[in-house]
Amino acid sequence: MFNKQIVFSLAGVSMIALVASCAGSRPASLDRAQSSLRQAQQDPLVARYAPGQLSDAQSTMTQAERAWKSDGDRDETSHLAYVTEQKAGIAVAVAQQKSAEDEVQRLRAQRENIRVDARTREVQQARVQTEVATDRAQAATDRAVAATTRAQALEQELTALKAKDTERGLVMTLQEGVLFEYNKAELKSGAMRNLEPLITFLREHPDRTLLIEGYTDSTGSDSYNMELSQRRAEAVRNFLAANGISADRIVARGYGESYPVTTNTTEAGRQQNRRVEVVIAHEGQQVAERR
Amino acid sequence: MRLSPRIQRCFGFFVVCGVLGVTGCSAARPPEAAVAQAELAVRQASESKAPAYAPTEFRVAQEKSQGAQRALSAEKYDQARRLAEQAVTDAQLAQARANAVEAQKNAEETRKTIDALRTEANRPTAP
Repeated sequence: MFNKQIVFSLAGVSMIALVASCAGSRPASLDRAQSSLRQAQQDPLVARYAPGQLSDAQSTMTQAERAWKSDGDRDETSHLAYVTEQKAGIAVAVAQQKSAEDEVQRLRAQRENIRVDARTREVQQARVQTEVATDRAQAATDRAVAATTRAQALEQELTALKAKDTERGLVMTLQEGVLFEYNKAELKSGAMRNLEPLITFLREHPDRTLLIEGYTDSTGSDSYNMELSQRRAEAVRNFLAANGISADRIVARGYGESYPVTTNTTEAGRQQNRRVEVVIAHEGQQVAERR
Repeated sequence: MRLSPRIQRCFGFFVVCGVLGVTGCSAARPPEAAVAQAELAVRQASESKAPAYAPTEFRVAQEKSQGAQRALSAEKYDQARRLAEQAVTDAQLAQARANAVEAQKNAEETRKTIDALRTEANRPTAP
């Protein structure tokens, strides 16, 4: 005769015994899962970059523990323990991925800085080179301007001289009337005024040599005219020498009635032929005498 | 000893529950949704860098998914569900590891370009 109480407690005890004996010892998979989870929890990268994934692994671990402690379900427990391990692995992998991505961002910023620095240096160098080039161009322009100024000054001098630019040199023609009285070889008092520009020019250009040529018209004998024109040329040379122009630079020649510039049949023509020509050699050249 | 019918029924009830508890009450429903989810997860992983960068993990996921389908066909529903759930996690792990490898390769590449740039920048330039 069994009373109800004893029967129910016996049933309860046998249930527990059934569960306990069928279940056996704690599965190793649970311990493995526990270990993987703890490693993930202690990984600072996981805490920073994959807290959600870690939390997911933790809740699966809880389920696994419950499957074992409450239900004694070995298969389900092993299954949940395996899933926990894999989820811990996922947390670690995600943390590694995100940490590497952050690193890439940091490195890209660094790379940009290097590029910017290099480009800045390039720009600076280019600027320096431009400055150098500009300075050179400016210097060239300055030289060109100076040359033009010199050329213009020279032209002005020529204009002042009223000289013609020919192959032989600069030819300045002085009519008899401005330098000499008719048939005389002494310079008139007004001669200075007409020879002033020539003196100025010769002082400015000390390297130039000159040839003073005296000419007459055809009136009178050849020899007389030759002598008169020679003395007149010399008179001009002496005058120049007296005004600071070295006689070494000057050749004085008389050509008499040779080389007239126009006809001797009219008084106007003869007047024109009675002249002195000053031929200033071109730069670097010597004057070629007529003959 | 003879037990009363009522007590016999109660005891039988406990035994049945115990048996059911051991084998799992969930044996009733076929886990078709779980198996489909596993197939989907594996397909997704196959289209990612997982086969290239995490081949072992990917293969495990594939095999488990196929195993889940076979278990489903064999009406081993508990096994099918578990294999399916594991396949999903395995596929996720394969993708996560592949992503990590890719990101690390990227970082390495970027480091190399910086080294090259530095060498280039430090080379003396022509005047």
